[in-house]
Amino acid sequence: MHFLPHFPIHFNPIVLFGLTLLLGLLGGEIAKATRLLPRISGYIAVGFLVGPNGFNIATPSALADASFFVDIALGLILFDLGRHLDFSWLRHDRGLLPMAITESCFTFSLVFAILHLFKFPWLPSALAATIATATSPAVVMMVAHDISSEGPITRRTMMLTSLNNLFSLILFTILLPVTHVKSSTPQIISEHITYRLLGSVILGLIIFIITICLSRLTGKNKESQFILFVGAVALGIGLAISLNLSTMLTLFTFGVAARNLDRNHRLTEVAFGWLARLFFVLLFVVTGVYLKFQGLWQATWIVLAFLFVKILAKMIGVLIFSGASRLTKQQALALGFTLAPMAELAIGMSNRLVYFNPNFSHQLLTIITAAVAILYILGPIAVQIAFIKTGEATVESR
Amino acid sequence: MIDTLVPFKKSESLTIGIELELQLVDLHHFNLVMEAKDFLRRLSEVLHTGAIKPEITQSMIELNSSVHSSYTALLNEVTILRNALVEEADQTHIGICGGGAHPFQKWREQRIFQIERFASFSEQYGYLAKQFTVFGQHIHIGCVSADDALYLCHAMARYLPQFIALSAASPFHQDVDTSFDCSRLAVISAFPLNGTPPWILSWKKFETYFEKMVKLGIIKSMKDFYWDIRPKPEFGTIELRICDTPLTVKKAVELAVYAQALACWLLDKRPTLSRDIYLTYLVNRFRAARYGLEAILIDPIQQTTIPIADDIINTCDQLESYAANLGSQNALGQIYGMATERKNDATWLRQRCADLNSLNDVVRSQTEIWRCKEIS
Repeated sequence: MHFLPHFPIHFNPIVLFGLTLLLGLLGGEIAKATRLLPRISGYIAVGFLVGPNGFNIATPSALADASFFVDIALGLILFDLGRHLDFSWLRHDRGLLPMAITESCFTFSLVFAILHLFKFPWLPSALAATIATATSPAVVMMVAHDISSEGPITRRTMMLTSLNNLFSLILFTILLPVTHVKSSTPQIISEHITYRLLGSVILGLIIFIITICLSRLTGKNKESQFILFVGAVALGIGLAISLNLSTMLTLFTFGVAARNLDRNHRLTEVAFGWLARLFFVLLFVVTGVYLKFQGLWQATWIVLAFLFVKILAKMIGVLIFSGASRLTKQQALALGFTLAPMAELAIGMSNRLVYFNPNFSHQLLTIITAAVAILYILGPIAVQIAFIKTGEATVESR
Repeated sequence: MIDTLVPFKKSESLTIGIELELQLVDLHHFNLVMEAKDFLRRLSEVLHTGAIKPEITQSMIELNSSVHSSYTALLNEVTILRNALVEEADQTHIGICGGGAHPFQKWREQRIFQIERFASFSEQYGYLAKQFTVFGQHIHIGCVSADDALYLCHAMARYLPQFIALSAASPFHQDVDTSFDCSRLAVISAFPLNGTPPWILSWKKFETYFEKMVKLGIIKSMKDFYWDIRPKPEFGTIELRICDTPLTVKKAVELAVYAQALACWLLDKRPTLSRDIYLTYLVNRFRAARYGLEAILIDPIQQTTIPIADDIINTCDQLESYAANLGSQNALGQIYGMATERKNDATWLRQRCADLNSLNDVVRSQTEIWRCKEIS
């Protein structure tokens, strides 16, 4: 009976891919049915339950095959996030850039200070603070899309998310090579920083130029430009990995260039629509697998302090400049809350940190992952409530 | 709440004012944005109350001028208002533009602006309320008496197709080229109380008609009549409601003073009214919306046909001395030029679409021309 499969059956990556999507879909619909939780919470819960900290059905290594899709998903998100950074808006709204700088600097400084206060060395504290600075673009985009949130606060959330991610990405790219301070010379470290920082930006610009050149062939046809963008994003990711550059900064730069340097408007606005939804489900389920709560039991006060100062810093940063941006108090509070989520990029940065320097403070990493896990759960709910409170979400779409 | 018909307020003859319904658009994808509430709040901090008002859906606002006698004064005021709008819109990073319809918005995605009047409108008209996301210009002309107002409503009816063709700026609707120059009128035609006022020429009889309509439960106030032209007793004006919002404030003011000169001529010459005008009114209205300045009108009195452009040129010739007295001869020259070139805003929008091959970029051009920026 050589034609029968051998037992136990080895599930190939396509089966896992299908299962991830189907279970994610199921989780999302259950969450939605509660009328309180956003779909994302369901996707994450499914990831967590099938992961090593749940029923251990899908281990991170088994899901490594899905990493290709996750990379593309993250790439598309970062490209899209970059496209939200519109310099012309920053020129006209004099409160927006100071607001972004203040909330980013406050978050970094306060998280750094609190960790340092708990006797963590400066470098790991700085890296953790860098990770804490970035708001999760995927959570914000997904929740806004799910509840059809549209309006001034939704747009400002995307703008501030874009700016705090830029702050975080640059700082992370600078600090990462410094973790090799013991095994390397300052000159090599500074060369490494320069290479990664400038290289990623230049690669992002090159991808942009290639895209602009190809758009002369495609014209404004949306279907063709959709393929153009996905292809350019995939190319950017691949080249950044091959050249040892930051994929995140490369794709973000590509997005910023597409928004601000396309003087002749050759690129059109393409909504990634169904494809984005598919990638989002996959991204949240897969990253849900990585969630760990051990840090919460091991260092409860540090995790809670970390979370408290992160949320507080963002809120203060927004409130200080809300007058200059002419926001109402309710709008400013809602905006502050929408900046709370930490998710896929924080997990990506933590994983990158471990990959880059396996000797990185294990305890701090546990704390970061616990904080991410909590914000992964509470963040989407906070964003959903904030958007509903501002009146920018539609009730029927819930 | 039921309003009674307020007495007709006597106003200075031939004063003018305009209302412009404007589109709020996103500056990235150029679709409509639901920002009217926040934008109005911001505007209320810098402009006097009443200049800008909400409209039926959250991506619309209405700009209202004050009362003026001359072209220059009206243009100055609406230019100041336009500049204030542009400045505020820049700060919150949204675009504003004219045009009778947004080229690719989806009506089902629109949200009703939540005030009592619009909520009740939405309750009454269902999906038509969201489809009403179209953008018109209303022109007010002051009348010294209610009877003059009723006379003008019917005397002007003969010329309303001219205003449709001159202002037409909605060739694209729901993502398609409609083949109409003015697709907006088709949306308004769906309402049961659209059309023209009944053949009543004295205010006394109009009051009786109004009371009947109220008693029958058909209307609650004058606002329920979606006529192409109607008397506005609380302002002491007649209100032309037929125009698309033009792409620039200058053109909006030119149309207003053209109506002013026409009203001046009608009140001076008092041509005899004939009910026969309504035999062909709907056909002429349709042709003007469909073909714009290329339409052929039917004259039911002379029983002839005439190209609408020639009709406008003839009218301009008739109005020349009146426009000179009113200080609007330059504006009349612009109207004359449009008719001779047979180019309205719909022509411009179609040309932009052909050049740019993208409706998103057409809206981008609309926002640029609205702020008088050179088109890129």
